[in-house]
Amino acid sequence: MLEINGLVKRYGDFTLDCTMHVEKGRITGLIGQNGAGKSTAFKAVLGLISTDGGTIRIFGKEQGELTVKDRQKIGVVFADSGFSGYLTVSDIVPVLANLYTDFDKAFFLKQAKRFELPLRKKIKEFSTGMKAKLKVLTATASHAKLLLLDEPTVGLDVVARDELLELLREFMEEDEENAILISSHISSDLESLCDDLYMIHSGKIVLHEDTDVLLSDYGLLKVDERQYAGLDRQYLMRVRRGPYGYDCLTNQKRYYMENYPGIAVEKGSIDEVITMMIRGDEV
Amino acid sequence: MKGLLIKDFRLMKVQKSFFILMFAVGIGQALLSEDASSAIGFPTFIVSLFAISSISYDEFDNGNAFLFSLPITRSGYVAEKYCFGIILGGGVWALSSAVIAIVSIARNTAPVMELLVSTASILPIMLILLAVMIPVQLKFGGEKSRVALLVAYGCIVVLGLAVTKAAEMLDVDLFAMLDRLPVMSLGAVIGCAVLIALLALAVSMGISLAVIKRKQF
Repeated sequence: MLEINGLVKRYGDFTLDCTMHVEKGRITGLIGQNGAGKSTAFKAVLGLISTDGGTIRIFGKEQGELTVKDRQKIGVVFADSGFSGYLTVSDIVPVLANLYTDFDKAFFLKQAKRFELPLRKKIKEFSTGMKAKLKVLTATASHAKLLLLDEPTVGLDVVARDELLELLREFMEEDEENAILISSHISSDLESLCDDLYMIHSGKIVLHEDTDVLLSDYGLLKVDERQYAGLDRQYLMRVRRGPYGYDCLTNQKRYYMENYPGIAVEKGSIDEVITMMIRGDEV
Repeated sequence: MKGLLIKDFRLMKVQKSFFILMFAVGIGQALLSEDASSAIGFPTFIVSLFAISSISYDEFDNGNAFLFSLPITRSGYVAEKYCFGIILGGGVWALSSAVIAIVSIARNTAPVMELLVSTASILPIMLILLAVMIPVQLKFGGEKSRVALLVAYGCIVVLGLAVTKAAEMLDVDLFAMLDRLPVMSLGAVIGCAVLIALLALAVSMGISLAVIKRKQF
């Protein structure tokens, strides 16, 4: 569905250098701190910025060869950009109807009612949650095949976030070939939603893993100096020295639980995995 | 393009009271003033420039990133801005011309020929105004475009002064030269003006396309 190979974009000292794939029928997450390069990657995929190297293919075509018809199959959400705040929901209905041949007006209005979005109020007067819901609704109302969602949940409370994630699940149920690339710096959003996750740091992809594997096989070993000295290190990914010993990130948690029953093994949450991948030393 | 046009027309609602005021001023001028060209020109120029304002509205709050991720092309966006300006300017021009014509006929005052000349001369000026303003706005954005236009105006004034001074130094009478040019009929002058305006629009559109294609959002 989406293939990014060796994409390079330079901004002064910052360099984005990433390779990512989004498969049909899957929700792929892109997680990283603010400024890690998530939005730059999205903008490159959408042709909003020039690139310094690499290739981007969407629906099997080079990014630059996409037609307007192809682009109608891509729904986009940016956290910091959307329709003019001076427009109302009623205003954007005919705009979308004329931009997308498959715009589903009835679905759009039904969902707008479900999310209690006022039709005649200016968007700039909406709450953060209402704006976010409108953006996702706009992206999903035209039977898109691929959603590119850059931080769609930023600034939302728990209830609004759940409603929005529910809308995304419904989008995936609509067609088994639909796919989503979603970015966030909040791991809990992605943990429950994504099939696989890319972790990005300082413009580089530091890890790609299936979410199930990440949650079941990754772990954090808490060992002291003596335990660390006797530890088989072939399944350790990162090591970080702490005040009482070492924290070791592994992707073979069970191996250490079975062979080193004396050491403490913690479940590897996404936040811990990210912290270790960024702050830890390679073994 | 239709979707973008609808968006821009819907955005015009924001300045609804301004346009109502413009309409009132236009009607007032038509009824009270003897000067047909200002009664037609003023609302035509002001309203057509909303095409420029619409570019600012698009840029506001980083809106372009989202706008250009919609199923539109960069060239389609540029074409829409010119269409929007021409529809607005042309529409108001036709409307105000019709009002002036009705008022003149009712009063039985202005000679038909003078009215036609006044009306026809506004259109190429409006087109040239759009031809200058749209690429400047696309290139420099809301704030910088004002500075860019002032600089351009300054350059034209300096160039004019330089030409006059040079003519004085070389002892050339520019007005006499102009007088010696072959006399053209009024229709031909207006025809030439429209042709020049259309040419300016074509060049302007080429520049705007080059500007928008290099833009990063």
